[in-house]
Amino acid sequence: MADWQELVRQELAGLALDLQQNREVIEELSAHLEETFEQFRREGRTESESAQLALGQVGDWMILRRRIQAARAKEHLMTSRITQFWIPSMVTFVVAEGLLGLLQKFGPKPMIFAWSGNLAVLQFYVPWLLTLPLIGAMAAYLSHRSGGTSRVVFSTVLFPALAILGLFLFVLPVALIVDRHIDPSIVATGFILGILGWVFVPAAALLIGGLPVYLFLSRHSTSRHIAGQ
Amino acid sequence: MIGSGIKRGTAELAVLSVLQDGPLHGYELARRIEQQTEGALRFTLAALYPMLYRMEQQRWIRGSWETSANGRRRRCYRLTPAGKKKLSPLRREWAELFRALHRLTKVAHG
Repeated sequence: MADWQELVRQELAGLALDLQQNREVIEELSAHLEETFEQFRREGRTESESAQLALGQVGDWMILRRRIQAARAKEHLMTSRITQFWIPSMVTFVVAEGLLGLLQKFGPKPMIFAWSGNLAVLQFYVPWLLTLPLIGAMAAYLSHRSGGTSRVVFSTVLFPALAILGLFLFVLPVALIVDRHIDPSIVATGFILGILGWVFVPAAALLIGGLPVYLFLSRHSTSRHIAGQ
Repeated sequence: MIGSGIKRGTAELAVLSVLQDGPLHGYELARRIEQQTEGALRFTLAALYPMLYRMEQQRWIRGSWETSANGRRRRCYRLTPAGKKKLSPLRREWAELFRALHRLTKVAHG
């Protein structure tokens, strides 16, 4: 009896969908062909005749591939943005910021670096920074599992740091405009130290967890894909 | 020659009408349509599945994986509220078109 899944996989090779969608399409079409084949067998046809008749129900494989691609492309674009980027990013952001809030309330005091003659300080919540690699790893896993590309996965991993960067870029200029009594040099130093403490260091911590998980998962899925061909 | 728009319209009407009776997977759906139209409407896979995916994208139908009693996984399609809403005007439009064509052929042969 024909291996319908293998046959459909070969005929639809090059279908540009994410892994999960690709698997689902192959499973669905091969199930259809298998049932058609079994129906012909029940009608008393020989195995090879039934297989030929079942294949005759496909039409043109190239047209099928092109149409599936076109039908799934728009849907794919919309849903993939949500499942590969927005949901993992939001989960990561909420977990990271929730933990920070808890540690600020119940945890040890932050490590503060101050320079004499300068009001701006550099502060680190060390326990929070230590949890960030785990959060980065979780972000990479969630995004990669949904079929995210490397760019999407790393945007998701860095999302908490990027959100804080956005906040800095918005809040500080507004603070300068609203309160004209603040010395612009203090604001500039505070901005640089803030970016360093709240964006660059957390981003590095997130990447420490996210990068190995991404590398591991992409290697794993590539070898699985090759084995499945 | 029947245009692709008309062909697509009849195929969509057929799918929505059959799914009104209950959820079906692709193979059953194609078979049911073929049986109920006495072979007048037959779908190749190249016609059926892209159409199902497009209709799913338009939220007229919804597909979900189900495991049958014999342990086979099948993707079953069911009509959504939006699909139900789409069905009645679609039926009306097609009925009007067939009535018009019927009148036209009667005049032509009368």
